[in-house]
Amino acid sequence: MAKTPKYPNPKFFKAKDNIDWKKQWENLKVCGSIFYDMFKETDWEAFKNGWKNTLKMDAERIKEEYNAFMALDQQGKLDAVLYGEKRLGRLYAKGAMATVRREWRGIKDTAYDFYEWARMWGMLLMTFSKDLIPAVNSALHYRWMISYFCCHGFMDKNIMGQRGRALRMSHLLIYDIFRYVAENLVLLSKADRKNGNSEELNKMLMTFDEMTMGQIMAGFPDLCGIPYQLLPVFLVSEIDQLTCVPYIDAVESFGLPSDTCPVPSSECGALVIDALPDMGCGFISSSMPCDGSTMASSYFARRFPNTPVFHLCFPVRYEDESVLQSAAEDIKACIKFIEDKTGAKWNWDAYFTAMKRFNKETSYELEKWEINKTKYPQLLGPCYELFRKWNYEMDGGIDPRVIKTCEKVSKLIREAYEDRDEAWVGKMKYRAIVWSCPAHYYANFSNWAANCWGIDVLVEMESLNFTKPLETEDKEEALRDLARLYERMVMRRHTNGGYHNVVTELWRQCEAWDAKLIIMYQNVACKNMATVQGLLDDQGRERGYDLIWIEHDLMDPRTVSRRTMRDKVNEFMRTVKNAEPVDPSLVEFEDEVCM
Amino acid sequence: MKDLKHLIYFESLLENADNELVKQAQAEGDICLGYTCYHVPEALLNIGNCFSVRLRAPKTGSIDIATYYMSNYTCEYARALVERAIEGGYQFLDALIGVDACSMMNRAMEHFEVLKVNTKEKFFVTHMDIPFKVTDYTLDAYTTQMQIHVLDNLKEKFGIDTSDKAIRKAVKEHNEVCKILTEIGDMRKAENPVITGYEYHVLNLVSFTCPKRLILPYLKETLKELKSRKPDPKPWFRARVAIVGSEIDDPNLTKLIEGCGAFVCSDRHCFGSTPGREVIELNDDEPALKQICRHIMEHSECARYISDEKVMQRRHTADRLAKEYHAEGIIYEQMKYCDYWGFERALVSHVMAEEYGWPVLSIDRLYNNGNSGQLRTRCQAFVESLEIKRIHKEEGIK
Repeated sequence: MAKTPKYPNPKFFKAKDNIDWKKQWENLKVCGSIFYDMFKETDWEAFKNGWKNTLKMDAERIKEEYNAFMALDQQGKLDAVLYGEKRLGRLYAKGAMATVRREWRGIKDTAYDFYEWARMWGMLLMTFSKDLIPAVNSALHYRWMISYFCCHGFMDKNIMGQRGRALRMSHLLIYDIFRYVAENLVLLSKADRKNGNSEELNKMLMTFDEMTMGQIMAGFPDLCGIPYQLLPVFLVSEIDQLTCVPYIDAVESFGLPSDTCPVPSSECGALVIDALPDMGCGFISSSMPCDGSTMASSYFARRFPNTPVFHLCFPVRYEDESVLQSAAEDIKACIKFIEDKTGAKWNWDAYFTAMKRFNKETSYELEKWEINKTKYPQLLGPCYELFRKWNYEMDGGIDPRVIKTCEKVSKLIREAYEDRDEAWVGKMKYRAIVWSCPAHYYANFSNWAANCWGIDVLVEMESLNFTKPLETEDKEEALRDLARLYERMVMRRHTNGGYHNVVTELWRQCEAWDAKLIIMYQNVACKNMATVQGLLDDQGRERGYDLIWIEHDLMDPRTVSRRTMRDKVNEFMRTVKNAEPVDPSLVEFEDEVCM
Repeated sequence: MKDLKHLIYFESLLENADNELVKQAQAEGDICLGYTCYHVPEALLNIGNCFSVRLRAPKTGSIDIATYYMSNYTCEYARALVERAIEGGYQFLDALIGVDACSMMNRAMEHFEVLKVNTKEKFFVTHMDIPFKVTDYTLDAYTTQMQIHVLDNLKEKFGIDTSDKAIRKAVKEHNEVCKILTEIGDMRKAENPVITGYEYHVLNLVSFTCPKRLILPYLKETLKELKSRKPDPKPWFRARVAIVGSEIDDPNLTKLIEGCGAFVCSDRHCFGSTPGREVIELNDDEPALKQICRHIMEHSECARYISDEKVMQRRHTADRLAKEYHAEGIIYEQMKYCDYWGFERALVSHVMAEEYGWPVLSIDRLYNNGNSGQLRTRCQAFVESLEIKRIHKEEGIK
């Protein structure tokens, strides 16, 4: 059996950098002057008082926690030590950018959690050490790079309240995403012409729109494909709720109306303030998933006029098979574009190998769905939600290491199901489904809903995508299948191609998952979803579903804050369901500036 | 200038989607096909005894019910159509030919279906896929869509002859309308033109919203009248502007701009003459349908065309028209909540100013703007700025 090639290709990391030190020195001077100005303008008295206040609050908090623990009876104390704390709201503090401490999950789970924390640090250090200087230097060029420093905090928020196998599965899944991010950050920094400036890497590097699925790069194993805006805009906005604010402000000052979707707005804003790296030998833009995203590519062309662009466009009426061939032809044209720009040749064997893996990963996904549809759902929460989207959209079977994670999770989920574990221990009260796109700035909303009210999100709309096994023998059919897959990318699968894909489909899924409660996100700028809100309301009412409409502005927490989002649920649960919170400490808390 | 003989009649035709000529044609047994977008080839909808009506919602007031269904953050044109449809205002249609070119319009048309706003037995709504770029394979896909969704449906539902010969006949009539409007439109190039932008907008709109065979005699007569029309001794306007942007089916917007002293000499917008009133040249070597589809794709100026050459085409067209019609500035406009033109307007208003050197006024607007004081103020300021530029130019000041 042929040996599986190493992934990512080591030659990407070994490519020679060509850093212009003079320019870096200039940049360092600019940064230095900013730091100096900040230093000069700092009110040191207020700074000192701030710290004093923080220490005082910490002391009070520790005292309160101690008293609360001591007030427990013997069994309560034992439970707290063995199975962890139950009042998670106390992890938040007003004005704090992070939680006040990590969660106590009981002896065994805290030890495991700490092991994963250390494993993540180890992976990050090992990855960044592959080419440390450009990676670190990125922090002096791009403010979004700083947000990645709090990735552990992000992990903690996503696993809040989880125990046992659920905790283990979440850690396994999120680890793969972070590894992908870390590796791509290093490569992005190396390739960036402002920074690492590795022309050797740029010759092998094709950038593509973050809304373009990654599978096409599976046929080019010697090339590196990076979703261009994913790291500086899309993913980081899940980690730090305030990242995209400067982008949005910049592009709105430029003249873009504020009613447009924050995804393309932020992408364009990042171009306006020069927050995106200059790299690669070509860019694959796309018409997906919606009208706003279609338009963002002209902003790219304006900022980087020397980068050749291929516009990968797919039919909107994707269920109409008469337009499928056109989509397949576009994929062929895209492959030719990549071949022309890089000199690489499309490799069918590599493509089929990756797609076989992707098919297997899809079958593992279907297994998760089958278990989550039962009375004993096992894999819930933000880590799984993020993994599903990332695996479907970006990884796409290309990284052979991911299948191992899928295998481990499969084993754990079967065991958990057999033992009738509770995904959220003591918090399995309402079976819910999430519809429409979730707010990036509140990636762990489903986690909060479970911990606070016992609302267990079984599945998200964005997870329910194309599950047909992709063709891995016939080449022409394989291209058509790839087109079918792309046409049904995350979000697009539902919001395009006719209202029945999003309205009728919801009722079908509610039945399949036995969910009576629908968390209906309302991205105020999403025209595709806004235009069916009346139909959803009418038909949902007729069918007797509980719809909690939660407005958000996707990447701009100033329009609708996290707290306002929570209030919608709180109000609904109190007034409509007449329910009591599972954890009252989570009903009201401050996280306006918390990452 | 002396008023145009039929202007008041034309204005009255624009007061209702279901106007006098539409009623007359239907009474005579013609089939009325509604549509909204340039990507539905108008000529194809005028095949046999069919005729096209490009949908408008004149005199729109409250759009509350449509807002319930489609939220208040969506295109007002789309919402106005849904509101009017719910009120029963499009009951006269025999079919609605829709394109999935922009999501909000597509959803509007889906509401026609879901809410069953038309009770005619044979009424149908169809949705077609529209490409994002011009290539051989997207042309094939587009042609197939038109065949299946337009021609096959018309044949099956209404027994229309959809042969190549019938299509060519429809194109001939379509071209006749286009030639007249192009000739009238060219009169706007004159230093002291015999037609105003408002009048031209009205003429163009009636050509989109009335049965061709019934409106043609009026248009011919108007052309003849214009040829002998005497302009005022001195031009009535203070500046000449070209309009570029999204849908404007409300001639009162043009009236508002002209009321500020700006002659609207060129109209590159949906419901304008570019694109829409170019003659379709057919050869005998290829099926007419494919040629029509190619014509539409090549002439489309819709911002949804993503490819570089179409992006550049849009900028060149704006520049070309402004030059040809001797405009002194360009107004980039966008229907509020239109994603395509929102992005296009924001970027290209900078591009046209910085790279092409045009003074640009960039505006977003509601569906009905005839009385917008804010818009009037901005247009007045723009006219003044153009005048100042002209004075500086004459005085040699940079």
